[in-house]
Amino acid sequence: MTTLFVLDVPENTPIAAVAGQDPAVMIDRVGPYYRIVSDAPIVIDRRATKARHAVWYSSVAGLHRSRITQWDKDAMRIEPR
Amino acid sequence: MSEQKHTVKGVDHVAYPTFDPAATVKFYRDVLGFPVVHSICAAGWGPEKHPDFIHFFFDIGNDDRLAFFYYFGLEPFDGGPQGDSYSRFTEDVPIFFIRSRHLAIHVDSEDDLMEYRRRLDGSEWPVEMQIQHETIESIYTHDPNGYMIEITRALRPVTPQEDLDANITIDALVDVVSGPEPSMAALLTRKAELIVERAEAWQQKQDEKEMVSNR
Repeated sequence: MTTLFVLDVPENTPIAAVAGQDPAVMIDRVGPYYRIVSDAPIVIDRRATKARHAVWYSSVAGLHRSRITQWDKDAMRIEPR
Repeated sequence: MSEQKHTVKGVDHVAYPTFDPAATVKFYRDVLGFPVVHSICAAGWGPEKHPDFIHFFFDIGNDDRLAFFYYFGLEPFDGGPQGDSYSRFTEDVPIFFIRSRHLAIHVDSEDDLMEYRRRLDGSEWPVEMQIQHETIESIYTHDPNGYMIEITRALRPVTPQEDLDANITIDALVDVVSGPEPSMAALLTRKAELIVERAEAWQQKQDEKEMVSNR
């Protein structure tokens, strides 16, 4: 299981939305955070989010039993640990 | 979390040394338009040998002040080719570290930010960078003493959940740096635990507050 937390602020909304386009991904909320969960790796295409770099590189709030294996200008990839 | 009363009122003054008061006055007073609001002409005295000095203050808005010390007869200290009038660094010190210490002055609007950009760009100290960060936009230059100065505006107001997240981050950081191998991965794992512990209760309190204020 891959679990990623993202804080719900206007800049992060498209990041959660792009993550949720993957049918394997389920999104719910824990207080003001999106909890983004998948049985598979979670992959987010940065260009699809239109996030500028400062937003992109500060968008992860927490990881549960998961690790970031790619976080660059192209994509973020999170896999189970 | 602290329940102590929080009664401080911002920056009274921050003080830096200068070896070039003429350029400093030109930069802050004449280019940026920060009024001189106070100065002290002090004869060196006391147990140690202390040079005579001028301590002078610029108004940086909000009644906050940026102050300088000029010491008569004092020469800059060695330490390396990088840095500013206060601290010099050898070549091997990375620039991100040197730039980490800087003064950021707030403006309320994009128009105000661009006005200060125009003033700097028309001077010997043009803007070196203009950057949209996460929630602020900033311009940067170095003053005649080599001190990095940022002028910044908020792109939007800070939301209450960002204060929660900041507190969770800092609690996680304090935990992680007490552990064996501080890292971003360890921090994000600890943050996830604190989010699960605290975020629902925070949201409930927030919702109750909103209901009360909407009544």
